[in-house]
Amino acid sequence: MRVQQTVAVGTAKRWLKRGAWLSVLALAVAVPLLAQVPGPDYGEFGIFGLDRRDAVWIAAQLHLLFAAFVLGVPMFAVVIEAIGIFGGDKKYDKLAKEFTRLLLVAYSATAIWGAILVFFLSTLYPRFWVYLTGIFAPSMWLYAVMFFAESFTLYLYYYGWDAWSKGAAKKVHWVLGILLNVWGTIVMLIANSWLTFMMSPPPELTADTAPQSVKLWSAIANATWMPINIHRLLANVVFGGAIVGAYAAYRFLTSETDEERAHYDWMGYTGNFIAIGALIVLPFAGYWLGREIYEFSQQMGITMMGGFMSWLWIIQAFLIGILFLTGNYYLWIGMGRIPGAERFQPYIKYMLLVLVIGVIVWATPNTMIADRDEIAAMGGQQHPFLGVLGVMSAKNTAVNLMILTTFLSFLMYRQANKRPVVSWAKAGTVLQFAAFAVAAAVVLFFGIRGYFVTAIVRIGFSVYQVAAVLATIVFVIGIDVAMSRGAESRGEIQWGKMPPRSQYALLILAVTFTWLMGLMGFARSGIRQHWHVYEVIRDTSEQAFTPALGPAATMISICVLIFFGLVGMIFWLGGLAEKSVYEEKDA
Amino acid sequence: MKGLRHPFLQGAIVIAVGFVIFKYVIGYVLPVFGIASAPVPASVVFQYTLTVLVGVLLYMSAEESRWEKFREPLKRTMVDHDRRRLRGVLMVAIPALVGWLAYQNVKPSFGAPATLRSVHPAPPNQITYRGLPIELRGLENPLRHSGTLEEHVAVGRAIYTKNCVPCHGDRLDGDGHFAGAFNPIPADFTAPGTLPQLTESFVFWRIAKGGPGLPQEGAPWNSAMPAWENILEQDEIWATIIYLYEQSGASPRTWEAEGEEGAEE
Amino acid sequence: MTNLKILFTVIATLGVFTFVANVIPQVQSAVPEEIILTEDTTPEELAAIGAEVYAGVGGCTACHGLGTRAPDLVGVVGGTCTTRVEGQSCKDYLWESLVNPTAYIVEGFAPIMLDQSRTLDGAQLWTLVAFLESQGGEVTVTSDDFAAALAAADAPPPPPPAPVDPADIDPRQLMVAQGCLACHSFEGEGQQIGPPFEALRGLDPEYVLRGIVNPNADTASDFAAFAGTMPPTFGDLMSEAELSVLVEFFVTGGQ
Repeated sequence: MRVQQTVAVGTAKRWLKRGAWLSVLALAVAVPLLAQVPGPDYGEFGIFGLDRRDAVWIAAQLHLLFAAFVLGVPMFAVVIEAIGIFGGDKKYDKLAKEFTRLLLVAYSATAIWGAILVFFLSTLYPRFWVYLTGIFAPSMWLYAVMFFAESFTLYLYYYGWDAWSKGAAKKVHWVLGILLNVWGTIVMLIANSWLTFMMSPPPELTADTAPQSVKLWSAIANATWMPINIHRLLANVVFGGAIVGAYAAYRFLTSETDEERAHYDWMGYTGNFIAIGALIVLPFAGYWLGREIYEFSQQMGITMMGGFMSWLWIIQAFLIGILFLTGNYYLWIGMGRIPGAERFQPYIKYMLLVLVIGVIVWATPNTMIADRDEIAAMGGQQHPFLGVLGVMSAKNTAVNLMILTTFLSFLMYRQANKRPVVSWAKAGTVLQFAAFAVAAAVVLFFGIRGYFVTAIVRIGFSVYQVAAVLATIVFVIGIDVAMSRGAESRGEIQWGKMPPRSQYALLILAVTFTWLMGLMGFARSGIRQHWHVYEVIRDTSEQAFTPALGPAATMISICVLIFFGLVGMIFWLGGLAEKSVYEEKDA
Repeated sequence: MKGLRHPFLQGAIVIAVGFVIFKYVIGYVLPVFGIASAPVPASVVFQYTLTVLVGVLLYMSAEESRWEKFREPLKRTMVDHDRRRLRGVLMVAIPALVGWLAYQNVKPSFGAPATLRSVHPAPPNQITYRGLPIELRGLENPLRHSGTLEEHVAVGRAIYTKNCVPCHGDRLDGDGHFAGAFNPIPADFTAPGTLPQLTESFVFWRIAKGGPGLPQEGAPWNSAMPAWENILEQDEIWATIIYLYEQSGASPRTWEAEGEEGAEE
Repeated sequence: MTNLKILFTVIATLGVFTFVANVIPQVQSAVPEEIILTEDTTPEELAAIGAEVYAGVGGCTACHGLGTRAPDLVGVVGGTCTTRVEGQSCKDYLWESLVNPTAYIVEGFAPIMLDQSRTLDGAQLWTLVAFLESQGGEVTVTSDDFAAALAAADAPPPPPPAPVDPADIDPRQLMVAQGCLACHSFEGEGQQIGPPFEALRGLDPEYVLRGIVNPNADTASDFAAFAGTMPPTFGDLMSEAELSVLVEFFVTGGQ
C-alpha cells in the first residue's frame, strides 16, 4: 500500500511538468491527503450570496456538463470519421475534425471546473472530503492518469489529423479516436463510482467504519454504479448529438455563404438525428436505475417517485413534451427542402394532433394544483375524470405513441425524395403501415387494460408496449432499407434551404437536454436528502435540507446559462480558428 | 366561408375550441351524460390550452407558405393604414388585458393559496404502534392468513360503521356527514388513485397514525383524521382494511421486489 | 443581431423552465430532528433511540429473534423481565443481562452472549434497557440512570489492557470464551451457522483475520443464508495478541 502511494506521488510529480490544468488537479488531490488533521467539518463560503452548497453545486454541474461534452462529442466524432473512412465521403472527415477542434478548448474547461470543484469540496467540506479520499484515493490517482492519457490522445488525434490522413495511417488515426473514447469512458466510470457510493454505499458500511478499512472495489462496485454508468453513457450520446446540433445551428445562423449554410444545415440534422435516436433507448436505462434504487432502499425509491420529489417528474414530463414537439417540428420544417416531401404534408396535422394529445396526457398531473374551492369541487386533489390520465397506464401509452409518431416523422423524412423501384414496393409500404397500426393497437390495448389489473401486472404491461414499439421500429427500418435499394431520386435534398426558426428549434433542443440533465442530477443527488453518504455520513451543515423545486430550478438555470455562455465562446473560437486557416490558404 | 380557410382563423378556432372543452365540456357537460367529472382547476386548463397554442403555432410555422399566410393578418394590423382603428383598439385592449390578469393574480383573496401536497407520502420503514415497533416494509395483512374472509369483513364493517362513516361516508366515497367541514376532505376509497395504488401496510400506517403522523411532504396539513392506534387494536385495523378492499372491489398493491431481493441476499 | 437573438432564445427557454418549476407550490425536504441524549430526554425518546441501537450498532438482531440461538425479546421482554429473578426490578435485571449476560441464561439457550458494555457505551446501554422495557412493559429508566453513564462517557477512556504474552493464551479457551462455537463448529462441537473451523486449515492468515474483524465483507457460498449474521465486534473484543494466536490456531488446524 505504502509502496504504491510513493509510486503514484512520483508519477504525479512528473505530470506536474506536462500541463497547467493537470498540475492544478493533481495538487488539489494531494493537498487534503496531507491535511488529515482535526479541523472544522465545514468551511465557510459567502460570495455573491451563494452558500457552500451552491458553490459546490455550480462547480459540480458545470464540470459534469463539460465532461459530458468531452465524452459525448468524441463518440460522435469517431463515428463520423468511420463513416468518412469506410464510406469514402470527404465531408464526413471534415465534420469530424471540426468537432475535435472544439474539444481542445472544452477539455481545458472541463479540467478547470474539475479543479474548482475539488478546491470547493476540500475547503468547504473538509471532513467529508478526507473521508472520501480515505476510501477512494487510489482511484483518484488512476483518474488523473486516465485524464492525462485522454488529453494526450486528444492532442495526437487532433494534431495528427492531416499528417495521418491516408491509407493505413488513417486507420491508426481512427483507432486513436477510439482510444480517446475508451479513456474518457474509464474516467467517467471512476467518477461515477464516487457519486454512486454516496447514494448507495455498501450495506455493511456504518458510521463508525474507518474509511481506510473499506475495500476499494466494494465501494466502487456499489448497487447503483453500473446502472448509472449505462445511463450516463447513453445520455452522453444524446448530449453529444444535441451540442453538435447547437453548434451547427449557431454556425448556420452566423454564416454568410450558401455553401457554409448547406454544410451546417446537414451537420445540425445529423446531430439531431443521433440525439433523438439515442434518446429513445434512454428510458430503459433510467428504468433499470430506478429499480436498483428501489432495491437498494425502498425509502429512497419512494422519496424519488412518490415522495417530495414526485412533482419533479411533472417538470420532467413537461421537458420531454418540449423535446418531442421540437424534435418533430425540426423534421417537418426540414421537409420543405426535400423535393417530393409535399406528398406527406397532409399527414402532418394528424401527427401533430397525436403529439399534442400525447403531451397533454403525459403532463397531466396526478395530484392537481388547485385552490380550496377547486379542491372542494373535485372532491380531492385528483380530478374524477382527468385523474384517469394521471396514472402510469395513460402515461406509458402516451409516450409510446409519441415515440411511434416521432419515428414516423423520421421515416417520412427518409423516404421523401425516393421513389422505390423494387417490384414489391406497394406491398412493402402496406406492410410498414400495418406494422405501425399493430404497434399502436398493442400500445393502446395494454394501456387500457392496465386500468383493470393489479399494479404488478400493470408494470409488466409497459414492457409489452415498449417491446411492440421497438420491434416495429426495427421491422420497418428493415423493410425500408430493402425498399430503398436502387430507388430513384425525386431530387437532391437542398441542404441550407432552411428557415432560421428551424435552427432556433435546434438550440432549444440543446438547452432543454442540458437543463434536463441538471434536473435529473438534482433528483439523483437530492434523494440522499440529509446524508453525505446515504445512511452512513450525515450532513450536519446548515444546507442539509433538500431544496424545493423552484430554487433548484433556478440553480440549474444559472448553471446551464454559464455553460452555454462558455460553450458559445468555444463555438466562436472554433469559427475564429477556421477563419485563420482559410486566410492562410488564400495567402 | 372563404375566411374559414385562412390559417389564422383556423388556429384561433382550434385554440378556442380547446379552451371550451377543457374549461366547460369536461367540467359541466360530461356529468350531464352521467360521466363522473368536475370543473378542471385553472392551472390545468391553462396548461392544456398552452399546449394547444404551442401545437397550433408549430403547425402553422412548419411550412413556409402557411406561415406567411398565418402572419399576414398580424402584419397588416400592425402596419396597414386602413387598419389603424383596430390597431388603436388593440393598443389599448392588450395592455388592459395584461393589467387585468396581473390584478387578478395579485389581488388579495380569502381563499387559501393553492397547495401542493403529496397525498401518498413515502411511508417510513418502521412505525411504532402504541410504542411497539412494526416493520412496515414487506408487511402483509396477517388476517389474510387466518380466519375466513366473511368474518373479517363483518368485523371490519362494524368498525367502519361505528368509526369511519361520519367522514368517509357509508358509500366509502369520502362524502360522510362531516366531510364538507374538512380541508382536505376525507379520502374517497372508490377512486382509482387511492386503495388500488397502495399496499395494505401503507393503509395500515395511515389509519394507525392518522393526520398527526403525516411526514413533512404531506403538509400543509390540517387533516382531521385521528391516529386510530389509540382507539383500535391492530387486528381491528386489519379487518377494516379487508372490509375497505372488499367493499370497494379494489385489490391491494402487493410487495413487488420481494422475491428478487430475497434471492439476492 | 443574430447573436442577440440566440442569447434571447437560450435565456427565454431557461426562463420558461425556471418559471414553471417555480409556479408549482414548493416543498422542501427538511432534516429530521436528531435526538440528543440529555437529562431532559423522555422515556419514550429513550426507547426510540434504543430501538435503533437494538437493530443497528448493537447487533442484537444477529441472535435475538432468529429462533434457537437466543430468546425473542421484541414485544414480550418488558413483561417477563420482572418475573425472572425474585426481588429484582425489570430495569436492574435487563441492565445486568446486558453487562453480565451469562448470569441469567434462559433455560434452553447456550451461554453465548457477550458483555455488551465492551462494544456499547453506558448511554447506549441505558437506551437499550429503555427500549426492552417498552416491549410489553413500562419504561422506568430515568435521567439519574444514564446521567452516571453520560458522566462516564465524558471521562477519559480507561487505559488499554496490558499486552499479554502470546504464550499465555490458550486458543481453545479463547474460542469458547468468545462464543465462537455458538455458530461455528470445531472437532465436532458447536453449531452449523457458519463454516466449521477445520475449513480454515492452510488458508492465508490475513484472510482469516479479515474474516474475524470484518466478517460480513464476503460470505462462504454454502452459508449465504446466514450472511450478515456474524457480529462485527470481535476485532474490538480481542486484543491483537489474542487475535494472532487464534488465527494461527485456525490456519494450522488446531496445533
